[in-house]
Amino acid sequence: MKRLLARFLIFAFLLLIWLLLTYPFSIQELTAGAAVSLLIALFSVGSIPIFAEMRTGPRAITWGIAYLFVFFFELVKSNLDVAFRVLHRKIPIQPGIVKVRTKLTSRIGRLALANSITLTPGTITVETKGEYFYVHWIDVRARNIEETTQNIVSKFEKYLEVIFG
Amino acid sequence: MIKKFFTIITVLLFALMVLPLLRQIAPFEELAPVAAAYAEQGPDQLGAANLVTSVIVTYRGLDTLGEVTVLFIATAGVGFLLRRDEEDQLPGDGVPRETPREASELLGSGSMLLFPLLMLFGVYIFLHGHLTPGGGFQGGVVIASAMLLLMLARVSFHLNHLIISLVESLSGFFYVAIGVLGLILAAGFLDNRILPLGEFGTLLSAGAIPIIYSLVGLKVGTELTNVLGTMRLTRTQQEEDV
Repeated sequence: MKRLLARFLIFAFLLLIWLLLTYPFSIQELTAGAAVSLLIALFSVGSIPIFAEMRTGPRAITWGIAYLFVFFFELVKSNLDVAFRVLHRKIPIQPGIVKVRTKLTSRIGRLALANSITLTPGTITVETKGEYFYVHWIDVRARNIEETTQNIVSKFEKYLEVIFG
Repeated sequence: MIKKFFTIITVLLFALMVLPLLRQIAPFEELAPVAAAYAEQGPDQLGAANLVTSVIVTYRGLDTLGEVTVLFIATAGVGFLLRRDEEDQLPGDGVPRETPREASELLGSGSMLLFPLLMLFGVYIFLHGHLTPGGGFQGGVVIASAMLLLMLARVSFHLNHLIISLVESLSGFFYVAIGVLGLILAAGFLDNRILPLGEFGTLLSAGAIPIIYSLVGLKVGTELTNVLGTMRLTRTQQEEDV
């Protein structure tokens, strides 16, 4: 049952992307898109685990939309921060790799978290091991795991926990 | 010193060689006669919104068939030179088999998420070859890249060579069959007017062009996937030999 639902999710996701790609809506495109999406949904067996874990409730979706704004804000903030460091006369950086802990267990949630960390300038997810992520940080302000987690992960995790779990 | 002198002489000689060409450069005021004919008649005659595609698939369709053949021969060459039988890989030849390292978790989840999307995008490109930039070759390459992602992300991933060869052969066969149909039903080999031209600019337009381009896309995609699969097999083999 869960696998069937996951397949349906893949299908719906692909059809949505197809309709956006071929924007002026027409019946021809809808039919072709439905056929192609169905074929690919049947074909991509390997993608079922990640789609089976997705949440589709209204709460997950509203928090997902909210996350777009939160992430955008963090993106701008860290861009400004890194730009400031680059332009500063003394270049105040303290690069290093720190260990952080995440509560997220779903694959897609961990993927979203790792990519959110990487996409914001100043931090890059280097490796994952179980509940720990290793993050390259432009300014190592803290070394112990609670503080690094608080600094890097918590702002994203709050939302991702609700969206993906 | 003498070396520098010769360098300068060579450069000057080159300049002398290119100079006449330089003087002949003039901005194109109008299209060459053939190009002008394509540009004027193309949309009405073949009904494809993308003029480049009507040239590639119909006016110069035979050349495209040749290109597909070139690609096929290249694939066959790669297969012939690099493939070893999968039995060679089985343990028992005295060399302890080292299992390849698993891909990272993020690459694995990323590939799961992206694979269907990449496939969809590849199909979109070749299905809309007569409307938007792109076509069979580009779409096929995108599909092959989706398969490459799977190969990178999953150590245990095995290509089903039977299905791939079947799709490849069938699409090649139908490509030629449609070409011959054009010879019988319309003006010539690979003529797209064996099907109604439809309404200009919609998905179901330009006669047989979408079908031909889809077949080309499937063929290119499976061929390149085959090349990647062959190279991957050889790569792991070599690593094990070391």
